[in-house]
Amino acid sequence: MRKFVFFGGKGGVGKTTVSSAYALKCANAGLRTLVVSTDPAHSTSDVFDQQFDDTPKPVDGVSGLDAMELDPEEEVSRHLQGIKRSLSTQVSPAMVNEIDRQVEMAHQTPGAYEAALFDRFVDVMRDSDEYDRVVFDTSPTGGTLRLLSLPEFLEGWAERLLAKRKQSVRLFERAAIGGREPRRMREGDPVIAQLEERRDRFALAGRLLREEAAFFLVVNPDELSIRETRRAIGSLDDATLDVRGLVVNKLTPEPDDDENGRGARFLRDRVQTERERLKTLREEFDKPVVAEIATRIAEVKGDLLAEVASEIDVEVRAEPAE
Amino acid sequence: MTLAERIAAFRDIAEEWLRGLYHGMISHPAYEKIENEAEDIEDAFMLACFPDAFGIPSPVSYYTAELLPYLEDEFEAWERRMWDRGSLLERKGQQYHF
Repeated sequence: MRKFVFFGGKGGVGKTTVSSAYALKCANAGLRTLVVSTDPAHSTSDVFDQQFDDTPKPVDGVSGLDAMELDPEEEVSRHLQGIKRSLSTQVSPAMVNEIDRQVEMAHQTPGAYEAALFDRFVDVMRDSDEYDRVVFDTSPTGGTLRLLSLPEFLEGWAERLLAKRKQSVRLFERAAIGGREPRRMREGDPVIAQLEERRDRFALAGRLLREEAAFFLVVNPDELSIRETRRAIGSLDDATLDVRGLVVNKLTPEPDDDENGRGARFLRDRVQTERERLKTLREEFDKPVVAEIATRIAEVKGDLLAEVASEIDVEVRAEPAE
Repeated sequence: MTLAERIAAFRDIAEEWLRGLYHGMISHPAYEKIENEAEDIEDAFMLACFPDAFGIPSPVSYYTAELLPYLEDEFEAWERRMWDRGSLLERKGQQYHF
């Protein structure tokens, strides 16, 4: 298995449970593992009965397993503060308000959360040297998975901006005929430096996601979840990301044969429809079904988590580097 | 004033006129044109960075906001140029001295 493993899917299908269970499985197999939750609701804390925050913390009672929870809101305000700090040192007081308004606006746009989240993803992946395996529990909000297919697009965008900026600076330099001071210079232009840094970051993200990440989709045996999964696979495939399989969660348990009450009849019908849907999943999707996990009566945590972990048939061993 | 001094004075005046003529006809329009072109490209750059200043939401303005502290002069000049400009034709027309 590759170093970075992502679990995605529609809201409420049990991504947190599945990714926690898989992380536990990896840790028990002796890999240094980090599980990263990006869900603002942060249920990782509930699964392990322990509060986590923005920095990796060891999970009590499991050796070799750390957990962290990303908070995009915090990241957005940190980003905003950083810009404001450099505003106050760079910009004259007369312009501060004007530019300040623009900066505030940029942090209110719909994409800000996703961008912040993306930044944190890249940070975590880049600084993950001490771990053998990093498991991401992606949030359903705003299509985190779609976000992950974007680095190439963003890289191209940064590249285009960079080209424009270089071109205008070059013309300004050329306009400085006969020893005049050019209005802008290529040497030490902070805008070019900043854009280059961004571009390199996107390039790194794209490379890590394409070459070192594997994706799994968690799906429930119901129509909506299946449809959403089909779309998700489509967009991940388009971005040439490596979708390894489907994890079917929340399957209804079958009643014993001698039971014939109303509840048993209901369950039998339900199991019947779910079999149909499993068949659809097996036949119409070109990705293998790697796990079939039955609904549990209690919340999945503690010993139950280990039990679920054993039902996930996903390779744990690290893959040799390509 | 000797003849030699009068010639020297005339040459000074002629030289100044020639330099002025050269500057006005050749070098000034040349760098002005190039500078205008550079400004136009910069405008396009600024528009690509901050389309939300015109109410066009941009998914990347979160990233471009990082550039703002360094774009103070550009930002002000850009906004001014955007207000001044009646039409693209007007701006382009300015680049030619009729």
